[in-house]
Amino acid sequence: MGTHPAVPARGLEPALALLALLGLYAFGWLAVAPNRLVSGTSLGAAAALGWGVHAIAVLILGAVALRRWRPGLAPALPVMLLVLAAALALGLTGDAARHQLQELAPAARAMLGFGFWLGIAALLVLLAEVLRGASIWLRVLAPLLLLGIAALAGWLGLLDRLSLVVEYQARAETLHAALLRHLALAGAALGIVLAFGIPLGWWAFRSPRAEAALAAVLNAVQIVPALALFGALIPLLSALLRAVPALRGLGVEAIGTAPTLIGTAAYAGLPLWRGILAGLAAAPREVVGVAEAMGMDEARVTRAVRLPLGLPVFLAALRVAAVQCIGLVALGGLIGAGGLGALVLEGMAQFATDLILLGALPIVALALLADGALRLLEGRLAPWRR
Amino acid sequence: MAAVIAFEDVSVAYGGRDGLRDVTLEVAAGELCVLVGPSGAGKSTLLRLVNRLVAPSAGVVRVRGEDIARNDPIRLRRSIGYAIQSVGLFPHRTVGENIATVPRLLGWPEPRIAARIPELLALLRLDADLAARYPHTLSGGQAQRVGLARALAADPDLLLMDEPFGAADPILRRALRAELRRIHAVTGKTILLVTHDAEEALELATRVVVLRDGRVLAAGAPLELIRAADPFVRDLLGGDAPALRRLGLVTVAAAMAATAAPAGAPVIAPGASLSDALSLMLETRAEVLAVGEDGRTLGSLGLPGLLRAVPMPAPA
Repeated sequence: MGTHPAVPARGLEPALALLALLGLYAFGWLAVAPNRLVSGTSLGAAAALGWGVHAIAVLILGAVALRRWRPGLAPALPVMLLVLAAALALGLTGDAARHQLQELAPAARAMLGFGFWLGIAALLVLLAEVLRGASIWLRVLAPLLLLGIAALAGWLGLLDRLSLVVEYQARAETLHAALLRHLALAGAALGIVLAFGIPLGWWAFRSPRAEAALAAVLNAVQIVPALALFGALIPLLSALLRAVPALRGLGVEAIGTAPTLIGTAAYAGLPLWRGILAGLAAAPREVVGVAEAMGMDEARVTRAVRLPLGLPVFLAALRVAAVQCIGLVALGGLIGAGGLGALVLEGMAQFATDLILLGALPIVALALLADGALRLLEGRLAPWRR
Repeated sequence: MAAVIAFEDVSVAYGGRDGLRDVTLEVAAGELCVLVGPSGAGKSTLLRLVNRLVAPSAGVVRVRGEDIARNDPIRLRRSIGYAIQSVGLFPHRTVGENIATVPRLLGWPEPRIAARIPELLALLRLDADLAARYPHTLSGGQAQRVGLARALAADPDLLLMDEPFGAADPILRRALRAELRRIHAVTGKTILLVTHDAEEALELATRVVVLRDGRVLAAGAPLELIRAADPFVRDLLGGDAPALRRLGLVTVAAAMAATAAPAGAPVIAPGASLSDALSLMLETRAEVLAVGEDGRTLGSLGLPGLLRAVPMPAPA
């Protein structure tokens, strides 16, 4: 909780660059298989991409070297080098897939290998690391630029022969529906968390006894494995529905949406509740004391002192809860709630790696997006700390 | 003069430290009354009774003649200026908004508030540009002054100050004390101030109240108390060098003679203290000083005159 230091950890960036190079040179980059269900033969990046692989490596090393030996330099140049490296990796890989599949049957697939995922992941984390010290416009621009390049490559058909893209094109409608469903589930869960977390946070702030009791309950929830909790909710809810059949009329069912929302909200409840409590207590005691001594009543002290001073803490708690909701709702796929989790589950049932990724990647992207957006907001809303 | 604050047989039961026992005390309008005593003596408790941050277990506290237990504490607090050691500026509000706190609570029209902020900054000799800054950008001295400006914002006739300069370094403390004396002289407000620093008490107060173990041990003008019979009071206020402390309380103007000083005598201002005068004599090896201001000569001060001005009590 709280703010993260702006100072980058020394050695982190070179380590990330090393991981990216490992992805490029040490592992399989692309696997060519006769159909989507077998693993096929693996190609290294050098074999698949040709000389371009060294260009990518040089761009990454150049960015890290600039950061290392020109620490005074504005981050814009290394950021652009890294964006270029990512764009090059994406474009060359799409082209390599097309090239590899030229002579093969239409069912043949070019699947992205471990090396690709390691390399791209390390590259993106490295980019995020460099962006941490950058100006706000660069922090917004660089991800947009990256997305724009990926979208352009997709639109131009550069990526069409990659197995993941083939899979996407076959299931675009399902995926879009699952994405919306996922967002709706996560949003509803977050709404429930807020509806309970805020009043319970206030209650705990006013009463130390309530705090102890609520902390015990919410901590206990965290100890139960998430999957077990989701599973256990099904018999509990069906027993409840037998006892109170009227709930069925409200659309409550023992599987699917209801247990997913309840389970997710129970999990995300602890970080949000903690954050509300910490935010309310964030105002220094002497500041609250002076406010009272100058003639503010309790309601005004809360409105004029506690809430604004707690705002950054509240937002941090909201961020953690939102990210948790996006992630946990995916488990709802296992109990019939649909959403991106259901796609992952289907992919696992079919041993279809690309389908798993098709569900998992948007979950990760949503979580990162929510996290990034709320972080930006946190920085904006506390002008007195700059 | 009417009593602005009156404590009538007030007790506060805290069980041990910081309680009060049967305190009866009046603070008259325009006084700068300083509560002094060791920690745990109940000074802050006595101060916090005045704006009902503490409730008495027995006795009556009157402010401006009215029993405060019968009136709304919120309205009472808005009518009294309040400043504390840690300053307690609202970190999320600009200096101007901090100063505007009580006027806003009182519902002043915005133009009046907007006009009041620069007035107060000027009174505290702060730059008008400071109004737009956030507290974390201020120096310690600026923050203390803004705290004082905030306490004065709604022009209260009564000011409570709890160790207001406690967090400042010695040089800053001296400057802030001078500032407070000046503001007291300019505004004529009634001020009740708590300190554990005897020197500060003697320098600031028109009246000193010495507290110990929840009781008032002595109350009176600084010069009276410094030669008080009670050995605790004498030790507390006089410290290691009671004679020098007393020199610091008498002005040159009060001790000088109308006779002219010999030519070339060092010049001292009439508002300086006798300890300043003695210091100047020691530095310049002159036994007689000329008293003057703005180029005019007012009289002279010799060593014998200085000694006569500070009679010592007979040895016990």
